[in-house]
Amino acid sequence: MLAKMRQKAKDLLSSGVVSTVIGYGEGSGNRVRALFIRKPDDADKLILDERCVQNLAVYLTKREVRALGRPAVVARVPVMRTIQQLMFEKQVAEGEVAVIGISPDSQVLDFPDLKSMAEYVSAIPFELSADEKAAVEKLEKMTAGERWNFWLDVLSGCSKCYACRQSCPLCYCERCTVECNQPQWVSVPSHGLGNLEWHIMRAMHLAGRCVNCGDCFRACPLEIPLNLLTQKIITDIADKFGGADEYALNAFKPDDKEDFIR
Amino acid sequence: MSEFEPKIIAFVCNWCTYAGADLTGTSRIKYASNVRIVRLPCTGRIDFMLLMKAFSRGADGVIVSGCHPNDCHYTSGNFHARRRWIVFKSLLDFMGIDVRRIHFAWVSAAEGAKWAEVVNSVVNDVRALGPYDGYKNLAPIAADWRIQDAG
Amino acid sequence: MSRIGVFICHCGENINGTVDCAKVAEAASRVPGVSHSVDYKYMCSDPGQSMIKEAIKEKKLTGVVVGACSPRMHEPTFRRACAEAGLNPYLCEMANLREHCSWVHEKSEATTRKAVDLIKSMIEKVKLNQPLQPIKVPVTRAALVLGGGIAGIQASLDIANAGHQVIMVEREPSIGGHMSQLSETFPTLDCSQCILTPRMVEVAQHPNITLHTYSELESLEGFIGNFKAKIRNKARCVDEKLCTGCGMCAQKCPTKKISSEFNAGLGMRSAIYVPFPQAVPNKPVIDKDHCTFFQKGKCKVCEKVCPTKAIRYDQEDRIIDVEVGAVVLATGFDVLGTDFFPEYGYGRYKDVINGLQFERLASASGPTLGVIKRPSDGKVPETVVFVACAGSRDPAKGIEYCSKICCMYTAKHAMLYKHKVHEGSAYVFYMDIRAGGKMYDEFVRRAIEEDDVKYVRGRVSRIYEEDGKLVVKGADTLLGHEPLEIRADLVVLATAGVASSGAEELAQKLHVSYDSHHFFAEAHPKLRPVETNTAGIFLAGACQSPRDIPETVSQASGAASKVAGLFSQEELTREPLVAVVNRTAPPLYSTCTGCGLCMPACPYQAIEMEEIRTRDGTVVKVAAKVNPGLCQGCGTCVALCRVKAIDLQGYTNEQIYAELMAL
Ligand SMILES: Cc1cc2nc3c(=O)[nH]c(=O)nc-3n(C[C@H](O)[C@H](O)[C@H](O)COP(=O)(O)OP(=O)(O)OC[C@H]3O[C@@H](n4cnc5c(N)ncnc54)[C@H](O)[C@@H]3O)c2cc1C
Ligand code: SF4
Ligand code: SF4
Ligand code: SF4
Ligand code: SF4
Ligand code: FES
Repeated sequence: MLAKMRQKAKDLLSSGVVSTVIGYGEGSGNRVRALFIRKPDDADKLILDERCVQNLAVYLTKREVRALGRPAVVARVPVMRTIQQLMFEKQVAEGEVAVIGISPDSQVLDFPDLKSMAEYVSAIPFELSADEKAAVEKLEKMTAGERWNFWLDVLSGCSKCYACRQSCPLCYCERCTVECNQPQWVSVPSHGLGNLEWHIMRAMHLAGRCVNCGDCFRACPLEIPLNLLTQKIITDIADKFGGADEYALNAFKPDDKEDFIR
Repeated sequence: MSEFEPKIIAFVCNWCTYAGADLTGTSRIKYASNVRIVRLPCTGRIDFMLLMKAFSRGADGVIVSGCHPNDCHYTSGNFHARRRWIVFKSLLDFMGIDVRRIHFAWVSAAEGAKWAEVVNSVVNDVRALGPYDGYKNLAPIAADWRIQDAG
Repeated sequence: MSRIGVFICHCGENINGTVDCAKVAEAASRVPGVSHSVDYKYMCSDPGQSMIKEAIKEKKLTGVVVGACSPRMHEPTFRRACAEAGLNPYLCEMANLREHCSWVHEKSEATTRKAVDLIKSMIEKVKLNQPLQPIKVPVTRAALVLGGGIAGIQASLDIANAGHQVIMVEREPSIGGHMSQLSETFPTLDCSQCILTPRMVEVAQHPNITLHTYSELESLEGFIGNFKAKIRNKARCVDEKLCTGCGMCAQKCPTKKISSEFNAGLGMRSAIYVPFPQAVPNKPVIDKDHCTFFQKGKCKVCEKVCPTKAIRYDQEDRIIDVEVGAVVLATGFDVLGTDFFPEYGYGRYKDVINGLQFERLASASGPTLGVIKRPSDGKVPETVVFVACAGSRDPAKGIEYCSKICCMYTAKHAMLYKHKVHEGSAYVFYMDIRAGGKMYDEFVRRAIEEDDVKYVRGRVSRIYEEDGKLVVKGADTLLGHEPLEIRADLVVLATAGVASSGAEELAQKLHVSYDSHHFFAEAHPKLRPVETNTAGIFLAGACQSPRDIPETVSQASGAASKVAGLFSQEELTREPLVAVVNRTAPPLYSTCTGCGLCMPACPYQAIEMEEIRTRDGTVVKVAAKVNPGLCQGCGTCVALCRVKAIDLQGYTNEQIYAELMAL
């Protein structure tokens, strides 16, 4: 499978179909890093193992990367989902990106175009893993007071370094609202209020869009489980709206159910 | 210190609830004076961050209200709003924010009496809950607000 | 630095009675940026307005806050005053000290404190207000009228006579609507055809009216003054230019046993047909579902007999594009069939008919030439029972509303029957008689007193057939619910008026609201009854709810005068309270990411994507753009946009934020 992936990368580069292959390579200290392969011969530096989880789609919206010419991306399911979402959000268009798909059982997948990739990935149910579900449920079972203290506690460490935002492939806005000071939507200091506002805003902005890749969590130097928030929203959207909409927050049903509006 | 008087901020749409509250006035129905109304064209315009900002400004409770489903002046603003509220309220609850302090309602332009009821019941409920110290203590500015209000 | 003027109105004692207005003005004067603050007895009076105007001029005010009644009441007044003094009207805001404060709270310090808060919050908002200019949009002076019943006919004639172009679209082969099916009309009993036909002809001949019959609206895009419509001309299979309306085709068509819609199922028509002799236009259509040629591939008799060779079997639907400035919706209503009622035999009994069928029986041009004969055996009925409110006002049937016309036409029917069958007996079962209207009550009374129609108050619980008679079981609630059984020869159900078929889809195409029964909704039930919530689309007639001809006609004229008013200007001015997507300096060009998520959220399809280009034409960015002609200013997109790239003029993020932070 590794050989097949490298070969595919080589072919794409040597045929000139793409000018860069974005994949995974060995970094320092047993860590994996993103590799930008430009020459067919370098394709052998690509690796693929269980450490290779970073959502490489994050690079697709970056100006510097776009300047390199058309890229191909090594994409596991969450990455493919991201590309699908980016297409829906008009950030990536058919033909702009090639995908070296990796199936859940680590087979290399060939897609003639992004549309077929989107079809493939749409067929795989989008749901939380059992562990993720359990973590969300654990919090749900607490009292409101316990939840408040939990979040106060975990968020108290947040220094607003925005590594989570930087790593998120869907946080591609050029001017993030957190930096808007007219008006100041989010309190600047990283105190209780500033952090709470930041995380509420972040979660709401990803509501209906987050693909649950987990990169935000992995990027956080303080290991704040901020993806619990987006995971909660994913379950809510599936439970409450059926999860069929491409973007749940610009759609509606006249009979959407709720039990709190009097 | 005198009995705690909650500060309530209401975000309402122009066409139904604002007009409904006007009717409460023309009908001379009395209600608690703790509420301050922010007029917006439609519930669709109500940004969730406004609700957060109301709390950071020291509100002890928030009312969000607009036209009944199918009655939105813009036909579907309130349907969009309802979806956002469903997600948003659940998220706040998940974060332990006291969602009992946020009251969502549909109040039509004909429901002057209902508006008074909504305000009175929210004021009573929030009065019973006490000041939202948990939120106010998140940041130094909260204390600043309280001094101002005591005067 | 802002120079805000604050004007606190006492509204006599209305505000000052509970709020200490002087104190409010004093507190406002201490707010930074306020350079003038006064209170006065009646701010909306001439002297009050003059105070504002003078202060604007003398103190060079940059903004005005009036603390008075609801802005829904006097915002236009004060904005106008500001404009007269040279201040942009959108730099004036009102704080609602009356409806939202003095009238709803007791006199107390807390009430005054609230008033101060409301004023302060408006001061902070107004500091951020921007001068705005009204939006001007050009107006295409042509109207699209959908539906060719009496409502559409009247509206079209009025608009056309005012000198404007009208495009009328009727989905049936002829215009006329339900009125063309009626025999005689209450309360004067004049013949419906006699008063209607001349108008139909006028429509056909009017130089300003283009008539599209057998046509439907395919789509409508655009906004007030600037709509683009696509109209589908369904294939008639007849070349209208060649056809002279001689009727040979229909006469010779071998397929003749098709139930006639015009005769409400009581008569027959051929496969190629003109619905009724006075039809406008008098050009036949081929009913493909029944035509032997279309069904079996053989026949073509009509082609052979047509003297002008006008038959075109291969004619296809045509789509026509038109541009109009206004739309009048006049698509009318339908009545329920008898099959809706299990208790009255589910439509199984031939001699249980509905009101429209009775109209056809009573009509001189109807299938019985005006002789009242019962459908089953053609006998003249000796006893007829009329059942009012069949379906209407019956929540159990899902129809809570009153169909409004049935009381009157039932009285008319009973009367017509008695005029034609003197020795017969007519019974009317009713819930109560609603005969409000000029000469209406007199009309019903005439039926009872002069024509001896027997009115029984009560619902009919069951009807069944027995020995060639219809047994009508009911109760007389005025006689202590005494059970009553009438053996009738004919039963006429005044079935509920319902929305015309396809009304819901049509409303969705036009983006107008409709009620739970699919009748189109007016913008305001009392003050804007002929407008819809979509600017430029007006309502006429029974498409809004069942109504009679006089009401329909007056409403149609009302809608027409609205259209004529709209067309009286070359340009239309609109309030500039619309959304705008920001544009910034390069290299950003706009904070909009071009994600397009806002587009489907807009109820008016006002958001489109624009390619931003440099001078040499290279596309540097794709960003959203709001069409100010379409945007209605709801702000749904504003709250949705993550980067706050869209903002709503008059309710900007900054303004609302400042307003909130001052509370
Ligand atoms: C049994 C009966 C007796 C009545 N007697 C009287 C009476 O005596 N006096 C009185 O004042 N009133 C009477 N009325 C009421 C009268 O019929 C109505 O007031 C009148 O017909 C309403 O006119 P309208 O043009 O609004 O609707 P309609 O007459 O229903 O006309 C609507 C027209 O629009 C067309 N249409 C529908 N949908 C579309 C579409 N999507 N696109 C294009 N065209 C479309 C239809 O084909 C029709 O031609 C009676 C009604 C009934 C049922
Ligand atoms: S919010 Fe986190 S989990 Fe969701 S898409 Fe962004 S990085 Fe991935
Ligand atoms: S959650 Fe973590 S990664 Fe995100 S801003 Fe806070 S500290 Fe940084
Ligand atoms: S205005 Fe906002 S929501 Fe609309 S396309 Fe731009 S970024 Fe997306
Ligand atoms: S303000 Fe409302 S009507 Fe205007 S563009 Fe936004 S969503 Fe559409
Ligand atoms: S206008 Fe009231 S909710 Fe939209």
